[in-house]
Amino acid sequence: MKVAITGIGIVAPPGVCKEEFWQNIKAGKSFISPITRFDASTYPSQVAGQVENLNTNPIPRRLLKKIDKFSVMALIATDQALKDASLDLAKENPYSIGIFTGNALGGWLYAETELRDLYVEGRDGVSPYLASAWFPAAPQGQISIYYGIKGYSKTVVADRASALMAIGYAAQVIGNKKIDIAFAGGTEAPVTPYALLCCSTEGSISRGPYRPFDKERNGFVIGEGAGILVLEDIEHALKRGVNIYGLITGYGTFCNGIDRIMPDPNGKGLAKALKAALDMAGYKPQDIDYICADGVGTKLGDISETRAIKEVFEKKIPVSAPKSMFGYLLGAAGAVDVIIALLAMQNSIIPPTINYQTKDPECDLDYVPNKSRPKEIKRALIISRGRGGINAVLTIERG
Amino acid sequence: MGNIEERVKKLLVKLFDMKPEEVNSEANLNDDLGMDSTEMVELVVALEKEFKIQIEDGEITNKHCVSDVVKIVENKLKQ
Repeated sequence: MKVAITGIGIVAPPGVCKEEFWQNIKAGKSFISPITRFDASTYPSQVAGQVENLNTNPIPRRLLKKIDKFSVMALIATDQALKDASLDLAKENPYSIGIFTGNALGGWLYAETELRDLYVEGRDGVSPYLASAWFPAAPQGQISIYYGIKGYSKTVVADRASALMAIGYAAQVIGNKKIDIAFAGGTEAPVTPYALLCCSTEGSISRGPYRPFDKERNGFVIGEGAGILVLEDIEHALKRGVNIYGLITGYGTFCNGIDRIMPDPNGKGLAKALKAALDMAGYKPQDIDYICADGVGTKLGDISETRAIKEVFEKKIPVSAPKSMFGYLLGAAGAVDVIIALLAMQNSIIPPTINYQTKDPECDLDYVPNKSRPKEIKRALIISRGRGGINAVLTIERG
Repeated sequence: MGNIEERVKKLLVKLFDMKPEEVNSEANLNDDLGMDSTEMVELVVALEKEFKIQIEDGEITNKHCVSDVVKIVENKLKQ
């Protein structure tokens, strides 16, 4: 498989354009901050990666009140990606363009505000916009309406692996010649009272720093944002003469079939997904120069991910979890990680895993601790995993 | 009754961020003002509250124009 990536759109705590985002990522800064938009003082975790002061001017006010923040961020990221890819939609067949968005939770701020009004304030109905605002396919619908895109599309809901699976799915639909162009990625807005409470209650959320692969880890910190890529049939991209950031070359996914929340301790499902992605790309393990890890920051998550990587890769390859800087963007995370890997390839710099202090004997890979590292990257691999035993792996190479 | 028309128009401008000049009496709610079915629900609820009237399902639709809506409201107020 060879599908071109020709545009990048990013809305995330480290930046709302790729330049600002990359400057902050390569500097290894932390963008986790105390939650101030609601009273989180009674919550076990009171911090998150937050997108503050988002400029929503490009979106008409009449539309803004009908949609949740997760759709707003997806629309802004799509607009960036479209411009970055120099796409003139008027010249394209709308039936040859698709949208593939990943999302885990839906638009909970909209939903829980309405529910509170209904049950606490005693209002006798909900907003007519609620039904179309909160559901996970809302961003796909809004992007489709906003740009008049009408081709083969799909929303992928697969917990934290949603965005990476959406990108892998989109690449395959392009590979099968059903469409020429896809807007693919994910969006998530989980910094809301009910969403944070649910994540906290489940027990995977960190109370302190988010420190993947560190012995003192205690879970992940949530973050909000959206990442959208323009994927394009390679012939179509070459004909347009547009800049190609990289190529999607392989994709693999397997389930564990073991537990509702916990991964397989031995990482067997992930190892199979790693091998499947490498096979599809036609790579040997030693061809990979950088692995952008899931790095969920739970004991079993980190150890099983390390075991899976060690089962497949004999050589020590740099593995980092840049999301330690800005939080786990749940259903948007895979898209942001692909963007990071593309910018890492373009700039020959591996972004670090931050907050790393104490070595865990069971996690003994090269996690690129705390400081970014210069390295030429020709091929990279991205891992996303989710509850329910979901494992997804994507490989990319320089364009 | 003239002020009812003004109140309906003001409501449309406020609720849907429309330009006052586009909300004229002949403007069709769907064709000219782009109102969809969910916006119609919001409009009906707002009209009921503004004029303290009851509007049945389907009584006002986005096939109507602004003057139709004004007439329906006026008739309800006469009853």
